[in-house]
Amino acid sequence: MDLLSALSLGELALSFSRVPLFPVFDLSYFIVSLLYLKYEPGAVELSRRHPAASWLCAMLHCFGSYILADLLLGEPVIDYFSNSSSVLLASAVWYLTFFCPLDLFYKCVSFLPVKLVFVAMKEVVRVRKIAVGIHHAHHHYHHGWFIMIATGWVKGSGVALMANFEQLLRGVWKPETNEILHMSFPSKASLYGAVLFTLQQTRWLPMSRATLIFLFTMFMVSCKVFLTATHSHGSPFDVLEGYVCPMLFGTGWAGDHHHDNHGGLHAGGPGPQHCPPSTKSKEELVEGSRKKKTKKAD
Amino acid sequence: MGSSWDDLTLAFSHTSMFPFFDIAHYLVSVMAMKRQPGAVAVARKNPVSSWFTAMLHCFGGGILSCLLLAEPPLTFLTNHTNVLLASSVWYITFFCPCDLVSQAYSFLPVQLLAAAMKEVTRTWKIVGGVTHANSYFKNGWIVMIAIGWARGAGGAILTKFEQLVKGDWKPGGDEWLKMSYPSKLTLMGSVIFTFQHTNHLAISEHNLMFFYTVFLVTTKITMMMTETSSMTVAPFEDTLSRVLFGWQKQFSWCETKASYNGTGSSASKSTADASENVKKKHTKKTE
Repeated sequence: MDLLSALSLGELALSFSRVPLFPVFDLSYFIVSLLYLKYEPGAVELSRRHPAASWLCAMLHCFGSYILADLLLGEPVIDYFSNSSSVLLASAVWYLTFFCPLDLFYKCVSFLPVKLVFVAMKEVVRVRKIAVGIHHAHHHYHHGWFIMIATGWVKGSGVALMANFEQLLRGVWKPETNEILHMSFPSKASLYGAVLFTLQQTRWLPMSRATLIFLFTMFMVSCKVFLTATHSHGSPFDVLEGYVCPMLFGTGWAGDHHHDNHGGLHAGGPGPQHCPPSTKSKEELVEGSRKKKTKKAD
Repeated sequence: MGSSWDDLTLAFSHTSMFPFFDIAHYLVSVMAMKRQPGAVAVARKNPVSSWFTAMLHCFGGGILSCLLLAEPPLTFLTNHTNVLLASSVWYITFFCPCDLVSQAYSFLPVQLLAAAMKEVTRTWKIVGGVTHANSYFKNGWIVMIAIGWARGAGGAILTKFEQLVKGDWKPGGDEWLKMSYPSKLTLMGSVIFTFQHTNHLAISEHNLMFFYTVFLVTTKITMMMTETSSMTVAPFEDTLSRVLFGWQKQFSWCETKASYNGTGSSASKSTADASENVKKKHTKKTE
């Protein structure tokens, strides 16, 4: 019985890891990425005044991970743009998101249950990208662990790591806001996932790739869906970090962290129920104003 | 008749860019650089930095296309003669006794000739870029368009970036996002040449090169004579942006009209209205 269940789980994972990504999953990846682009302050005005710049921004949001990974591995940066169908799909999504009459597309997509489905599908793409990135880096450098981790990380976190350049394209130049300084949950999870997949690739982790993809996808989907549903931008790693980081980096770390959080709720000691980082309040503000706008439009 | 026309355009498309057209390109680029405030002082104080900027102005498009295609960006340095030529042009424009070159350049016919010859090199660069990208990616027409555009007009992006790094310029306003007139024309040409290359356009390459060059040169010269900065594309662009991106604007405009008694106007609507007003002004001006 045990053997049977293990077999079926393995088969399930294997067939799951072979589901083609292209039309449906990629589409939801583009939709969610462009939703986040639309949440950025000033993005809508930009699309009205400079459609070309807005389109380029949208392409960075959709294909940033490929661009960065190509840059790191010394391949042509615009390599991915030879996939005309993907680029056309992303452009269509961009057009619908920003210019659909009455904002219908945006309203449909940002309806919470629909959005949750898309977010879940986006995480599937993210995990698959990490796995492919590490495989690709392994192909180039057989023993380059750090290269594998870096490539996987970049593939997973995508445009967040090049946010400064993306802001520059929108006419905003704020070098002090940097993803590496304030890592969000997806970037951290991508980093940890990249480490796991690298261990698997170098055979330190006794597990098949398909199973790891399956398990990690389940983890990411449940976390991200939960976070999106509760509008929270904290991360499940906060608990772990609260214990590990003071041990590794001394007590100064906790104070620094709280300073970053604009003086979090409790000043003493890193509590396990960590208050979510400052990005939450900002994005909530944006979302709040957006809701107000839609209400007014209604 | 037909064959002699073909011969003419074929011969035109085989013209070598090397000495004269390239010199004109370097001259126009370096002169544009010299017009920027502070460039002369930098050349006196720090010649190496000024030389570097001049090289970016002259070879920027090639460098950008190399960056995009993951080739060594310093490839242009292997072409010793061109680098020497550009360096000597830079030297005589900045350090010529009595500023002779600048004075000669300020004479309008010379300027027109140099600008026209520079536009000719632009066509050649676009064609080179499109062909080069096609050798990498067989069916990647987006890549072909991008590389053609980068070769033809990408230098401006690199020089802006260099200024950003040096701290001379902060991206606060719109100038980074606004595509200049030459870069729009280059984008258009890049699209046309890509279509020609993928056999979607039933015209031979040398004919297309001839027509596009004639178009570029005439628009450039009329623009310089009449001293306008955008003439031919503005109405076309306006209608296109209305058709493509005007849906929401019209709707929100109607809404503001409907609820005009003041309560329901949000920020986005007012900005949309403002931009529409600006557009209208533009069209009035062009009319």
